[in-house]
Amino acid sequence: MVFGYVTLMVSLGIYLVPLLGQTLNEYFFSDRLGLIFYLVLILVSLFSAIHYVKFVNDRKVKEADVALHNAGTIFFTGAIVGVLFTSHFGILWAFMEATTLGASILIYHNRNQDALEATWKYLYVCSIGIAIAFAGILFLGFAAQQTGHIDFTFSAIKTEAANLNTIWLKACFLLVITGFSVKMGLVPLFNVDIDAKDASPSQVGASLSSVLMNAGFVAIYRFYEAFSATSILPWMNKLLMLTGLLSLFFAAVYVLRVKNVKRMFAYSSMEHASLVIIAFSCGGLGYFAAILHLVMHSLVKSSLFFQVSQMHRIFSSKLDENIGSYLRVNPLGGLVMLLGFLSIIAMPPSGMLISELYMFQALIAKDYWWVALIVLMLVLIIIYGLAVKMLGIIFLKKNSANINLDGATPYESALQLALIVIVFYIGLFRPPIIVESIQLAIQSLPI
Amino acid sequence: MINFLIIIFIISLIYLAKVEMVKSYFTLMAIQGLILFGLAYFELQEIDLVHLLLILLETLVFKAIFVPIFLQRITKNQIHRHHNGPIKGYYSVLTAVVIIIGCFMISYVLHDQLKSDADQQVKYFTAATSSLLVGLFIAINNRDLVTHLIGYLVIENGIFLLSLALGSEMPMFVNSAILLDIFTSVLIMGIFFNKMKDYFQNANAGQLSQLKD
Repeated sequence: MVFGYVTLMVSLGIYLVPLLGQTLNEYFFSDRLGLIFYLVLILVSLFSAIHYVKFVNDRKVKEADVALHNAGTIFFTGAIVGVLFTSHFGILWAFMEATTLGASILIYHNRNQDALEATWKYLYVCSIGIAIAFAGILFLGFAAQQTGHIDFTFSAIKTEAANLNTIWLKACFLLVITGFSVKMGLVPLFNVDIDAKDASPSQVGASLSSVLMNAGFVAIYRFYEAFSATSILPWMNKLLMLTGLLSLFFAAVYVLRVKNVKRMFAYSSMEHASLVIIAFSCGGLGYFAAILHLVMHSLVKSSLFFQVSQMHRIFSSKLDENIGSYLRVNPLGGLVMLLGFLSIIAMPPSGMLISELYMFQALIAKDYWWVALIVLMLVLIIIYGLAVKMLGIIFLKKNSANINLDGATPYESALQLALIVIVFYIGLFRPPIIVESIQLAIQSLPI
Repeated sequence: MINFLIIIFIISLIYLAKVEMVKSYFTLMAIQGLILFGLAYFELQEIDLVHLLLILLETLVFKAIFVPIFLQRITKNQIHRHHNGPIKGYYSVLTAVVIIIGCFMISYVLHDQLKSDADQQVKYFTAATSSLLVGLFIAINNRDLVTHLIGYLVIENGIFLLSLALGSEMPMFVNSAILLDIFTSVLIMGIFFNKMKDYFQNANAGQLSQLKD
């Protein structure tokens, strides 16, 4: 059923490509940025569906739970498609709320105490976050009211933005960032996101770390783009930079102390979300770096989360102290872990090195030397924290009991490797189609 | 009449901060639902009938009747007195009063930024932002999951008041989306709340500490 759904999504993509830049109706449009992340969504959903088949067989998941998971997946991805292609702030908010409900069904998949705790926290904090974001949209309504009538479409707000009261616009942007921070995994509402990625099946963790993070970014991007022609642009950039720096700081602190591999990758996602927001706040080349980084991070982090599922089957543990010599125990899986690790710490030939270099270039171009230094220092701390644990998992011999090699399936690892190879390919060759697509997607933003 | 209802709503917020018996929360939520019904009726008489009926339905049937009864059902009258948080007794009343005065002052400062019928909007704005912050305060200051749900509903009531301040200019479908979202959120939270009680001995958020680094 999910495979059928993915086919449907591909068909929708094919339908949307020739309509790029056009409005589909009053509330939806075919947008280049949406399409870039839509392609990522299709790829991750497809790989997620393949991995879920193995997960179901291994865990002997009940048919009713599989059915609920499939329904949840369709609801969740459908809501994300809505976020990517809507041209209306009200509808954008409604779809973001829908992602919370869909994600809750997916997070509760394992039906145990951890899953219940994570689902409750996620549902509760997301609902409050989304309510805060809605208050932001209402503030936008107060601002728009002064022009005579309220039209929440992106184009109408962008046209009128220069005439709107800046206090309302600032309040709106502040509340929207606060509310949607839970989706992107940023300060202040990041905790529940980490718990959700830990307690849910790895395929779900992959989706939360990739497609949901992208949806959160797109939501923030839409507001930023609409207000970018106003005098609050420097203020928005400062707010984004502050959010990014605080998130990066918390990611660095937690990565050093975390012992659970899934939580470690969740904090790594938080680190990359922070880098994306910092890059974006610089403008110019930073916009390009942010989107490129998000695309590549989605592929690598999904691959790592899928591999964690396999590792968990082999070692029956998520704790790094119980997992060792992974390259020897499961060579192909170990290779995925090693290359994935090199990718997330932006080592060559990973494409993420390129986007991070662009980010530093953008920071220096804006004379943010001190920010660049802080970011560099925090990133180095995170690399150290990740390296200590990951190299131990991959190479060190540990007292790992209950190793079950039945869980090592080469085809799964081969698929994960394919995702990482794509990121290496982007890093080495920078395909013009990707570069041009991103450049065209951000052309409406100020330089 | 609108002034009277807004004042009653603000008084209910102060009382919410002080409440210790869980049953009183449900009564207060029903009262707030009725107040919002009255406000929607008096404020939105100029909008089209279908839109008005939907909003009245949302406030009367959903906020004033369904939610309090649903919450009473899921707690099965087993939880009588909630666990107080760090700020107790009359100090929580004082906190709620400070929040309301602060919100009034901010609304007054923003007076010039509002539209021509600013007086009316200042009242709504004060009540709405107070409701948002008192809701957050209730959620943070209490450990019971049922009180967390109440905090969320108080925040949602604040959001509803804020959208009333926009009056007839708020598109109908957005209101429908809010109704649907609150409905599903409360329903799903209710389902999970029941499951929480099966796993954990009581509905205390302090027990939710299994997931950590």
